Amino acid sequence: MILVIAEQKDGKLNRASWEAIAAAQQLSAGAMPVKVAVAGHNVSGVAGELAQAAVAEVIAVDHAALAQYTPDAFVQALQQLITQAAPAMVFFPHSYQTRDFSATLATRLDRALVTDVIGVTQSGGAAAFSRPMFQGKLTADVVPQGPTPHLISIQIGAFRADAMQKGASAASVATAAVKIDESTLRQKPEAPFQEAKQAVDLSQAERIVSVGRGIKSQENIAVAEQLAKAFGAELAASRPICDNGWLPMERQIGSSGQTVAPKLYVALGISGAIQHLVGMKGSRTIVAINKDAEAPIFEVADYGIQGDLFELAPAIIAELQK
Amino acid sequence: MNRETLEVDVLIVGGGPAGLSAALRLAQLQKGSEPLSIAVIEKAPQAGAHQLSGALLDPSTLKDLIPDFAAKGAPLSTPVDNDNIYFLTQDGKVRLPITPPPFRNHGNYIISLSTFTKWLAEQVEAEGVDLFWGFPGQHVLYDEAPREGVPYEHADDRRASRPGTPKIIGVRTGDRGLGKDGKPKAAFEPGADIHAKVTIFADGVRGHLTKQLYRDRQIGIAAEPPVYAIGIKELWDIPRDRLKPGTVIHTLGYPLREEEFGGSWLYAMGDGRISIGFVVGLEYRDPLFDPHAAFQHYKQHPFIRSILAGGQLVRFGAKAIPEGGWNTQPQLYLDGALIVGDAANFVNSERLKGIHLAMRSGMLAAETAFEAIRSGNTSSTALASYKARVDASAIKEELYPVRSVHQAFGGGLIAGSAYAGVAMLTHGKFLPELSGTPGHQRMRMIEDYYGLAKRDILVPSNAAPIDRKVTFDKVTGAHYSGTHHGEDQPVHLLVHTEVCHSICGSEYGHPCVKFCPANVYEMVDDGAGGRRLQINASNCVHCKTCDIMDPYGVITWVAPEGGEGPSYDGM
Repeated sequence: MILVIAEQKDGKLNRASWEAIAAAQQLSAGAMPVKVAVAGHNVSGVAGELAQAAVAEVIAVDHAALAQYTPDAFVQALQQLITQAAPAMVFFPHSYQTRDFSATLATRLDRALVTDVIGVTQSGGAAAFSRPMFQGKLTADVVPQGPTPHLISIQIGAFRADAMQKGASAASVATAAVKIDESTLRQKPEAPFQEAKQAVDLSQAERIVSVGRGIKSQENIAVAEQLAKAFGAELAASRPICDNGWLPMERQIGSSGQTVAPKLYVALGISGAIQHLVGMKGSRTIVAINKDAEAPIFEVADYGIQGDLFELAPAIIAELQK
Repeated sequence: MNRETLEVDVLIVGGGPAGLSAALRLAQLQKGSEPLSIAVIEKAPQAGAHQLSGALLDPSTLKDLIPDFAAKGAPLSTPVDNDNIYFLTQDGKVRLPITPPPFRNHGNYIISLSTFTKWLAEQVEAEGVDLFWGFPGQHVLYDEAPREGVPYEHADDRRASRPGTPKIIGVRTGDRGLGKDGKPKAAFEPGADIHAKVTIFADGVRGHLTKQLYRDRQIGIAAEPPVYAIGIKELWDIPRDRLKPGTVIHTLGYPLREEEFGGSWLYAMGDGRISIGFVVGLEYRDPLFDPHAAFQHYKQHPFIRSILAGGQLVRFGAKAIPEGGWNTQPQLYLDGALIVGDAANFVNSERLKGIHLAMRSGMLAAETAFEAIRSGNTSSTALASYKARVDASAIKEELYPVRSVHQAFGGGLIAGSAYAGVAMLTHGKFLPELSGTPGHQRMRMIEDYYGLAKRDILVPSNAAPIDRKVTFDKVTGAHYSGTHHGEDQPVHLLVHTEVCHSICGSEYGHPCVKFCPANVYEMVDDGAGGRRLQINASNCVHCKTCDIMDPYGVITWVAPEGGEGPSYDGM
């Protein structure tokens, strides 16, 4: 059995959970049951939402101490859950939260952990997991060793949420009882805050219009803004734009910014330095607009338009508004 | 401000071969007696992450430091098998019929310095020494009694870099969690003051703390000006049968002209992995010369291309090399401080080796510090025995005879070779002491170099074609260095000047854009018809070339937030 640990916050499901379920379904190919668990407090709504997936069972792990995330409480709860359910593998979305607790959890269980997985294959009875090395230059196939369950975290954007199979009818929802000794929790979360008031989570955006040096001046950012609006997209940028302060730093895509994989990524005047490409090459459809036909961005683009963005952007906006 | 203070007996600043050898030697010396508290701080996030060299290791010091190094699994898997030296012309090559003795490497090993350092760090940790990864030193701390009436904090800050004050009492580590504007962010954590009876500066080539000592304590006043080179290195995976493991190839000539000092290395490490690199003296005259472009031209040479073709670039990096030799060593000891390794310019530029000298100087500094602490006197008088130890050691034996070789190349390749030849035959007797000029002072102005007509040219004289197969642009290189710096922090390359957009363009044509191998410096349109300097600090690979080579001497490299910078796995 593969157990997928979905992630939620305040009753809202993290989209990446669907991707982890899709990865589990792909690996099992019907030969192994897939179950989904979600931990938190008052998670019945999220559990119901997860029950749409074609899975054997949804397990709600409900405890007041899980209302707000702390690594200690989650490790305690998930350790008990995994021991009770005895799966062959445990899948997580490779979220910030997973990164925070998964190493501790694996150590407590004394089981192998493979992180940031981008592909799963079944060969000769052993499951192999592909993960990037050398910043994506090489891909290693990892076969975890030692007793099961093996813990696997799935890179965000590596599997498609819409490839997740839905069930003919809702899966049954069970509740798992866990004991959490609150006196042993070493962290005490305070009220969440955002350092920047208008922080955006671009990784959740479905469409992104991203602007690069080709925009030339701060005043011209408006052109990109209009294009983003016409697409119903979030506005993002390459490093020089944010470095100049033309857009806030949290909108930067690339190796020193955010990694995104939206359905549509429009690169406006971005040459495509490798540092930018690693942050967006997982996008489903990439549209590149650039003056320079030799620009590396065209190597990853599904649709490339060589031309002046100041002519092309208004034309596209006009077309979208028809 | 709540600044932590840590008291230790010996603080070693820098976790490279020199610093770690010092730590290990101290651990060995204190065995069986009252233990010393020893701390090593290092800006890299883990052992070896900022270590880059060719590298050929002369194992002589290792044999003394860790006699059972083979049993302890020292990563010396590739002994040198054959030495080759070529002179390259644009399309051809001439093999030197005999390999000159300094280039003979029988008995040496091709190593990854990063991997070797990782192993050395394990040996040190096994002795119970505390290694603090991700903690850069940022200021030298001097012992000056806070003045009456001055609030402690202010006195403290003044103490943090004040010229002419007596004793060095330790180092302040870098702050964490400062924003781009220099103001503390939510997770701000001030750097700690680490106080030590003896501080050993092992901060590497053009160490930014040793540089403070050059400024505050004039440690270079009696020495020749240091001379540097930049080494740019790549790791490649090529078909396994192409080069026999242990093959060593050095080249001179193309694409360098007679006026530029330098050459290349190519070492076959086994399993098809090769180390390839290019060294250029940071004393070239052409202000538009671009060392990174020279490296690309070199890789395009038919001979080198035939080796790389079909292979894969794995890693990229760059590092300055202290080439000046014996006469450029600064004063090695101060009240409470010793200087070791590359920071003290202990490199044999004729043999292209320094790791064993760095390790040796670390051992000697450890022995000095140990003796001084046990005797309760760590003044400069007590620590002066370090210099005596160096003078009686293999370091002087090796460096003194070739003391002016690099400076002689200032007179061109032919004169330099003749000098090197005589130095070799006579063991350095009867030779004139040649004086070097600081490299950046040799750079000539555009007008002077290219003539009046070309004063507005901005295209480097050696612009390289980029095919993205064998040759790559600088931004791609920076990516392959694995370098990472958070964007929301103060720029760690201080350029407090107006010269960039006022006179540098017409005088030197913005050489920073050319000599930086990682595209940190760019001149961009300022939107008002002029150009302004843009510093892409996040690309920095910590090579220190800008701090050395900028002709106005206005660039100062300081440590970025701890744990940031390149990731030189396998380099």
